[in-house]
Amino acid sequence: MIGESSKPKLREGVWLWLLKIIGGLLVFVVLGIHFVINHLVAPGGLLSYQDVINYYKVPIVPIMEIGFLIFVVSHCFLGLRSILLDLNPSDRFLNWIDGILLVGGIGACIYGAWLIILLTSRGA
Amino acid sequence: MNNRSAPAHFWRWFDPRHHQPGTWAFILNRVTALGLTLYLALHLVALSQLAMGPQAYDNFIVLAKTPVIKVGEMLVIAAGLIHGLNGIRIALSSFGIGVRNQKQIFAGLMAVAAIGIFIFAFSIFGGA
Repeated sequence: MIGESSKPKLREGVWLWLLKIIGGLLVFVVLGIHFVINHLVAPGGLLSYQDVINYYKVPIVPIMEIGFLIFVVSHCFLGLRSILLDLNPSDRFLNWIDGILLVGGIGACIYGAWLIILLTSRGA
Repeated sequence: MNNRSAPAHFWRWFDPRHHQPGTWAFILNRVTALGLTLYLALHLVALSQLAMGPQAYDNFIVLAKTPVIKVGEMLVIAAGLIHGLNGIRIALSSFGIGVRNQKQIFAGLMAVAAIGIFIFAFSIFGGA
């Protein structure tokens, strides 16, 4: 760990590892923007239904939030997979883990995107 | 390390004999990761109130201002700062930056996290 550089795990592969690292950095940046908008630009924060609907009227917001959703969910599920890899699962069990994480991750993204599109359409 | 059985791996997390700075960084990263995953799930479920209309969401906001939820929010902010700032170190080291000075970078980033947690604690509990 400390003293050596971070590397992909044995069964993680370079691309998933790179996606996890870059996804993490994107989450950091977008979370910063999210905080600034929610707490500095909107006075007092988005603390009512109407505030949220008005927030989604700004055209860039739904796009940014859908991107944010995808980065966070993918980083989260790749991270869970890394933790589960440390428990040294069998190949068969890893296949199950991959299937569950893939369905769960895509499901969370579809649900979140549906919610964002619904709120945007209510403001339009 | 990877050919140990699963239970041995699990209990190793709680074994204080291995706790060098790198191990602390690893444990903090894992524990905050699991906490933030739980938060993400709760956040996505809670925001379904938005789909149910203004009354449902505004009732939820009243609940979100209670002290228990504020303590929970404080934990989320602490976990987010620790995980995010430690993650910067991991990302840098992935591209070969600062690999030799990781102990110092880790200590510095955790100091920033502590300051950030203090500022948020003041704004959540200290202000209005």
